[in-house]
Amino acid sequence: MKSRQIYWEDIEVEEEIPGYDMEIDARRMVLQLSGSQDHYPIHFDRNFARAAGHEDVFMSSGFTEAALVRVITDWMGDEGWLRKLRLELRRQNRIGDTMVCKGRVASKYVQDGDHYVECEVWAENQREGITTPGRAWVILPSREGSQR
Amino acid sequence: MTSNYDIEKVRAEYIGKETPPVLGRYAAEHDPIRRYCHMVEDRNPLFLDAHYGEKSRYGATVCPPAGWLAMYFAGLGPWPPTIEPLLPIVPTPGRRFVNLVVETENFKPIKVGDRLSSKKRVADVYQKAIRLDPEAVWIVGETIISNQDDEVVCIVRNTYVVHRTLQEVAAAQAKMGKA
Repeated sequence: MKSRQIYWEDIEVEEEIPGYDMEIDARRMVLQLSGSQDHYPIHFDRNFARAAGHEDVFMSSGFTEAALVRVITDWMGDEGWLRKLRLELRRQNRIGDTMVCKGRVASKYVQDGDHYVECEVWAENQREGITTPGRAWVILPSREGSQR
Repeated sequence: MTSNYDIEKVRAEYIGKETPPVLGRYAAEHDPIRRYCHMVEDRNPLFLDAHYGEKSRYGATVCPPAGWLAMYFAGLGPWPPTIEPLLPIVPTPGRRFVNLVVETENFKPIKVGDRLSSKKRVADVYQKAIRLDPEAVWIVGETIISNQDDEVVCIVRNTYVVHRTLQEVAAAQAKMGKA
């Protein structure tokens, strides 16, 4: 599936970045271990997680980063470049949650010839609200021809 | 305080400390990228379709621009086991940790076939209480990842909080109460 290409000039500040949602279930936990290769037991061993003071096992930072990178890469198209992404893992996404990942354009500007869009991105769920606020700096192609 | 941990001494010794460079065990490969995409149902052909990638501006399949995946290809991976600490081993009262902030700056695409290497640096260490542990230690680490042409492809910054278990905190408090 190829996403349509967006251009810097077409982006409006405050515009929503659509994103997607996914169920966190046992299958997702297994996919997380395979995909991230993060075998720290806090992400799959309930006794280990509870001994450390957590209510339950929770999704890893590698998984959460992948989820929010996808929000941006699905949106920016093949010619976009994710220059920087910063995430704060403040609350947890756990089995039974629906994790919703999306974003919003915060500002746009030109710097050193690159056409930047700065975006808020976040993951949220029905239990905690926003669990992972973040910010992404994306370079988009310009209709005037400049492209990273 | 429930321990004799000296944060100022640790800061003086470890901030700025770097690990020696590590060459990733394997080149960046299709299948780990596929598994990484699978966990979040990412179907982007730039990451998954070799023919599509060849015709793209990159001329190859590329990795999703994610620090975690870059660190995987730039490291020794979980198996066979090796001593590859996340950071130069900063002494802490506890051994449990949680990654609280992830920041990745991307400079160059990572293509299938690239050989990545990494070095790690302690950017900051400080002590700040959390709900689980009044003496939790926060460590800010940087991983600088380069390709086979010595180009820095990305820098990943993580903030870890390292803490004790509830039992360990209670035991330390009881011990200090008796002292």
